[in-house]
Amino acid sequence: MPTETGRRMIELVHLARNYTRADGQRVSAVDDVSLIVPEGEFLCLIGPSGCGKSTLLQMMAGLVGPSSGAIVVDGKEIDGPGRERGMVFQRDSVFPWMRVIDNVEYGLKCRGVAAGARRDVARDYLKRVGLSHVERAWPRELSGGMLKRVAIAAVFANGGEVLLLDEPFGALDYVTRRQLQEVLLDLWEEPGRAVPNVVFVTHDVDEALLLADRIVAMRNGAIVDDIPVGAARPRDTDTLLVPDMVAIKHKLLGHLGLTHSALATASERGAA
Amino acid sequence: MEPPAVSGRIEAVAGPRRSEARFSDDPFRAVLRALAVLDPFRLAGALLFIAVWELASIFVSPIILPGPLSVLRRAATDFWSAPALSYYGVEDPSLAGNLAYTAENVAIAALIGAAIGVTLGLLSARVWFVRAAMDPIMMTAGTVPILIAAPFLLIWFGVGRASAVSLVAFYIVVILYVSSQRAALNLDSIYENYALTLGAHRGLMLRDILIPGTIPEILGGFRIALAGAWGLEAVSELLGSQSGIGKVLEVLAGATDPQGILATLLVLGCAAILTDALAATLIARFAAWRFAGS
Repeated sequence: MPTETGRRMIELVHLARNYTRADGQRVSAVDDVSLIVPEGEFLCLIGPSGCGKSTLLQMMAGLVGPSSGAIVVDGKEIDGPGRERGMVFQRDSVFPWMRVIDNVEYGLKCRGVAAGARRDVARDYLKRVGLSHVERAWPRELSGGMLKRVAIAAVFANGGEVLLLDEPFGALDYVTRRQLQEVLLDLWEEPGRAVPNVVFVTHDVDEALLLADRIVAMRNGAIVDDIPVGAARPRDTDTLLVPDMVAIKHKLLGHLGLTHSALATASERGAA
Repeated sequence: MEPPAVSGRIEAVAGPRRSEARFSDDPFRAVLRALAVLDPFRLAGALLFIAVWELASIFVSPIILPGPLSVLRRAATDFWSAPALSYYGVEDPSLAGNLAYTAENVAIAALIGAAIGVTLGLLSARVWFVRAAMDPIMMTAGTVPILIAAPFLLIWFGVGRASAVSLVAFYIVVILYVSSQRAALNLDSIYENYALTLGAHRGLMLRDILIPGTIPEILGGFRIALAGAWGLEAVSELLGSQSGIGKVLEVLAGATDPQGILATLLVLGCAAILTDALAATLIARFAAWRFAGS
């Protein structure tokens, strides 16, 4: 839910990223992408695998440098990772050698927040993600879904203005995924603090429709569509059946290469 | 979430026996756990060895092979006072004193060797030119039996402590260079990326990510290095040292005293086993996270 002031939080300016493969062939992972994300917006990036959405996110995190173009966050051009841009990775990134609570307060520890104060913040966020009971556990003792909760608690505890999530729930089962989507939205919409920007990479159309204020579709390194999602929150699976949402879903499936006719042909073939 | 049981072997932490540690409040389980730490099979192996030794000593002259009990008695007497040693020119006339000398050298060599080996190993995994410069040296050093450098070190450092310490330290450097480099290369880069996005800077990265993430493997290498270090130190003392377990062994061999030699070896072996147990405790402490949840 973007604020009325419409401050530009993230600006991507003619952003590109090229690779040279081992065989000498040049590959363009991200090709001249420009995008403006207003403050507080929940943006989903969707596209088929290999479309450059993860590379784009890693550039926004500052982990990968652009070949050309610029990324401006809150008025400042970025040139590396920074704590104002928290990231939840697709794979498990929680430090296995730190207990759960130490993981959650690690970002605060890095910038010298006093031990007592950062423990209070970490406890608070662990409670919100429902993990108070495993505060002293080692990460290897937790399930995949619990590890994602730890990672989410850690980025929120660190208080970044921009949260970058790279297919965070892709490897989880449907029920866990739905629960974690709720956890994420609750923390995002939490009253009493500035609403952080979220850039959420996914290949799951329903997930994008449930979460996003706006969905940007990518293909071959370029933005091919930019769709606002007007449906009111909270949304549930019934929301997905509203005609507007169905229309968006059809469009997105098309961008993913699953056109309506292609699907029909496939199912006819399956029935035959 | 109690830490896993501390026992003589890291396998005891990783293996099925670990599950017993979770039920330490149950007395029956506690007994089982104590037995597991003692390890009946290892105990049986030691007993078998002593039995064969005893049996052999009945048929062989005690001048060639003294029995286990007489060796044990000799070790106990010589431990605090062995006047004969000073007659042979050993500075300190007791096994304890010479063991302390050897242990000191091993400890100094372990500290120096670990500091240099781990620093270079971790750096080499993250800074390409360090690796380019160090790899050929370390890999070559790793293939050459270190003992052949001993005469050379005698020229540099003389017969004193420095020559033995540098030999053992060099050996430890090579082992820890390789094991810490491999540990750092195996550490998933996602942890460093994640730490960067949380706001960690380069200095913190070493303290909070690289070292704790690699310490289980590094300590594993350290344990192997320590085991070899005792033997290497004793052998280097054979070459002209005035003190130490190696020196004692040398003069006892010269005096044709198998009982004394076996007693000295027994003391050296006990010291090495104690050190190994200490290293295993360290591993269980710093690698607890790695075995959690398995």
